[in-house]
Amino acid sequence: MTPGVGIDDLTVAYDDVTALDSVSLSVDEGEFFTLVGPSGCGKTTTLRSIAGLESPRRGVVSIGGHDVTGAPPEDRDTGIVFQNYALFPHMTVRENVAYGLQFAGPLDAGSPEARVTELLELVEVADLADRDPDQLSGGQQQRVALARALAPEPDVLLLDEPLSALDAQLRQRLRVQIRSIQAELGITTVYVTHDQAEALAISDRVAVMHDGRVEQVATPETVYREPATRFVAEFVGDNNVFDGVVSESDRRRATVDGTAFPLPAATDYSGGQSVVLSVRPESIAVESAVSPGNDRAGTLSATVETVEFLGDAYRVHCDWRGRSVVVRTEATEPPAGDVSLRFDSEDVHVV
Amino acid sequence: MATRVDRFAIPAGIAATLATLAIVFYLPVGSVLVSAINVGGQLTVDPLLTVLRDPFYTGVAHSLFVDPLGVPRGISQWIAAGTPSLRLGLFGFTAYQALLSTVASVVVGLPGAYLLARFEFPGRRLLRSVTILPFVMPSIMVAVGFLAMFGRQGLFNDLLGIVGLGPVELTFTLELVVLAHAFYNAPLVTRLVTAAWESVGARRVETARTLGASPLRAFRDVIVPQLLPATLTAAVLTFVFTFMSFPIVLALGGLQLATVEVWLFARVRDLALTEAATLGAIETALSLGLIYVYLRFEALQVRSSGDSRGLDREPLFAGLRSLADPRRLALLCYGVVVLVLFVGPLASLVIESVTTPAGRLTGDYYAFLLSMQSGSGVGTVRPLAAVSNSVLFALGALALALPMGIVVSVVATRESRGSRLAEALLTAPLAVSGIVLGLGMLRTLVFGTELFGHRLTITGPVAIVAAHAVAGYPFVSRNVTPALSAIDDRLVDAARSLGASRQRALRDVELPLITPALVAGAAFAFAISIGEFDSTVLLAEGVDSATMPVALERYTGNRSLGPNLGPATAMGTVLLAVTTVSFLVIDRVGGRWEG
Repeated sequence: MTPGVGIDDLTVAYDDVTALDSVSLSVDEGEFFTLVGPSGCGKTTTLRSIAGLESPRRGVVSIGGHDVTGAPPEDRDTGIVFQNYALFPHMTVRENVAYGLQFAGPLDAGSPEARVTELLELVEVADLADRDPDQLSGGQQQRVALARALAPEPDVLLLDEPLSALDAQLRQRLRVQIRSIQAELGITTVYVTHDQAEALAISDRVAVMHDGRVEQVATPETVYREPATRFVAEFVGDNNVFDGVVSESDRRRATVDGTAFPLPAATDYSGGQSVVLSVRPESIAVESAVSPGNDRAGTLSATVETVEFLGDAYRVHCDWRGRSVVVRTEATEPPAGDVSLRFDSEDVHVV
Repeated sequence: MATRVDRFAIPAGIAATLATLAIVFYLPVGSVLVSAINVGGQLTVDPLLTVLRDPFYTGVAHSLFVDPLGVPRGISQWIAAGTPSLRLGLFGFTAYQALLSTVASVVVGLPGAYLLARFEFPGRRLLRSVTILPFVMPSIMVAVGFLAMFGRQGLFNDLLGIVGLGPVELTFTLELVVLAHAFYNAPLVTRLVTAAWESVGARRVETARTLGASPLRAFRDVIVPQLLPATLTAAVLTFVFTFMSFPIVLALGGLQLATVEVWLFARVRDLALTEAATLGAIETALSLGLIYVYLRFEALQVRSSGDSRGLDREPLFAGLRSLADPRRLALLCYGVVVLVLFVGPLASLVIESVTTPAGRLTGDYYAFLLSMQSGSGVGTVRPLAAVSNSVLFALGALALALPMGIVVSVVATRESRGSRLAEALLTAPLAVSGIVLGLGMLRTLVFGTELFGHRLTITGPVAIVAAHAVAGYPFVSRNVTPALSAIDDRLVDAARSLGASRQRALRDVELPLITPALVAGAAFAFAISIGEFDSTVLLAEGVDSATMPVALERYTGNRSLGPNLGPATAMGTVLLAVTTVSFLVIDRVGGRWEG
């Protein structure tokens, strides 16, 4: 496995705009690590800082424990794939892939020619070797860009939204392929995407970024089930987020707009404390008749507004006291009219 | 990342370019402007008033400056007298012929845009490229071509004779000058309007149609608003060019039809330099104003609709049905006009260069070009020397214009502030005629000028090369800038993260990608230099530094070599060949000049 990457207190600013504000991260050896967030959150700037394409105002970037903060990009063992692939238009596919080999040291894998062929076969474009980049489809260009980045046997593979210019089906197929190539090579990989579903699907660990800061670093499961901040709760996956106050009389309950929400058992709160609660759409049951609630469960009396059919389920948008609540149900018939939305205390996550 | 290239090479290049421009362009032009308001160190408006009050220059408008209060009375008297024709004066006449030329250029150019934008036919792409030709054609050569075509013994009268008409005498008429200006500028109109027409998104027209507009309404409401700015831009540019036109008026009109530029040249020849400078200052002020108008119109142009699909083209030839289609018949007539106006002069040039007045084939005129010294009197330009001078000066101008153009392109692609500076640098030479630049160079560099305690004198070939470089570098830059800004920064990033140093990335990635544009720009600059006449004719001292266009003019004016245009047409044909090769290079590598 290839060495890991460390980022410590990294700050990048252009004129007055702070793109990265004291970001610290550590990527383990051979790990598939994803930076996810909305546009402008600093994920690409972080990636470019690892490659040496940004001049940080403060902080340290290290690869395999060696400080590379001041090193120019050509002196770092990183390979990068850009969103638009950035293939050299005046070189053939083969020349593109071979370009980095002239600067690399002796290869583990024999001659440069053999290495190029090996890489083109790895990404399944060997038959296109003598084409020009503009004769390739988007997916093919993406594969060539990946082969080019991998050819000089870099320590770290950097992928900047490599799939976002492709259509949905191809995107899903290619991300599986990228993941399997990465696992096979054991190469430390930093992947940037704005697509949270993609981030959850592909990664060992995910860093959710917002406004130049890291909001949460964790496995996809943890990020989804236990969002650390309100932003993460709202950004990752469909979610319902409520502002509540812990009840003075019963600390196992919180009040949202006068309605009691049950709180999970494991935690302890003081009365009157403000809390942010999140309840996933798939944790909420829709019941057509308004039935009396029991002690353990929350019950919201809502009205169905819009129903989306997803194939395996319905996504139901309900109105509850002027707010929108999203529910996912696998019922065979779409719910309609006045409904009860029910959930258990264990389905409520306190952010 | 800041690199050594960024920190040192680029600022040094910018400084060198600005310094060169300051010495060979701004200083000379500035001296012309200053001399109009500065006599013997005193600030004065006397020279300006002298010109403006002289009816010879300003015609009836002179009373605005002599007796402004009398103007209303004068106008009412003029109306009372039945609005007789007015005396225009030199400036008035210059503007008048420029206006006629502009109208003619638009009238001839617009159908061409219609043809190129809306119809498909074999050779359409070539025809579209050919519209760039005038930019690389020496105007004195075109003038000789027009003399050969429309002269008394020319092809045009021969053609009229066949259909039983004529002959007509067009030499030294305003009509011929206007036609020659149309030859030059109609392709510009065609080029700019075609580009605008092609950028009209088909979906916009389709939207208008689904909203209920008829084809004619859709044309009026969707297409015309996009064509109008382009047409106005081309018209203003044409007006500026024809207002300052020099060799065509000199060769086809002579002093009888003198424009400001020709008169300016005559005053310089008579060594009336102060009067010439005053004229030059007024002319430059007028053209700067017009250039400002041009830039405003250009900003109005719709760049792109963001709609990748343009309007569909109809096939031009649709079998026998074409003969019944009024649009296609009109275009056929247009084709005849194009043949006579555009192909005619160039064909005549070539034909005349190999035929004697009696109609026999001859190689004498070309043999004359190769002779070292024709020996027919003092002051005759030696032809072979002119050819070699032209090539040497063009190479020299290229050596100067290429780096200057590249530097300006780099500045233009850096940041928005840089691009405005670059735009100003590139547009200024458009507003200054070659004669004014030549005059300025004479007054400053050639006669010597005091600069920071050193006496700077630049004469002869060096001055000519500098003037040519100033004329040529905007073309280099206009070609290189789009290529440079089209390079994705990430290509360089990718190369560097693959292990290439900044310099290696420059060599391996950026340079190969701008090479075609660089070659096109170089071909432009070379052709511009080969064809430059205005400043060269002032700066070429005696016979030794004359170039082909200068020689051509001498041969046209001096008929001692025989009663025909033979030597001039032979020299013109050589120029045409050079121009054609430049054009082929430009076209091959996709050169551009959209204004």
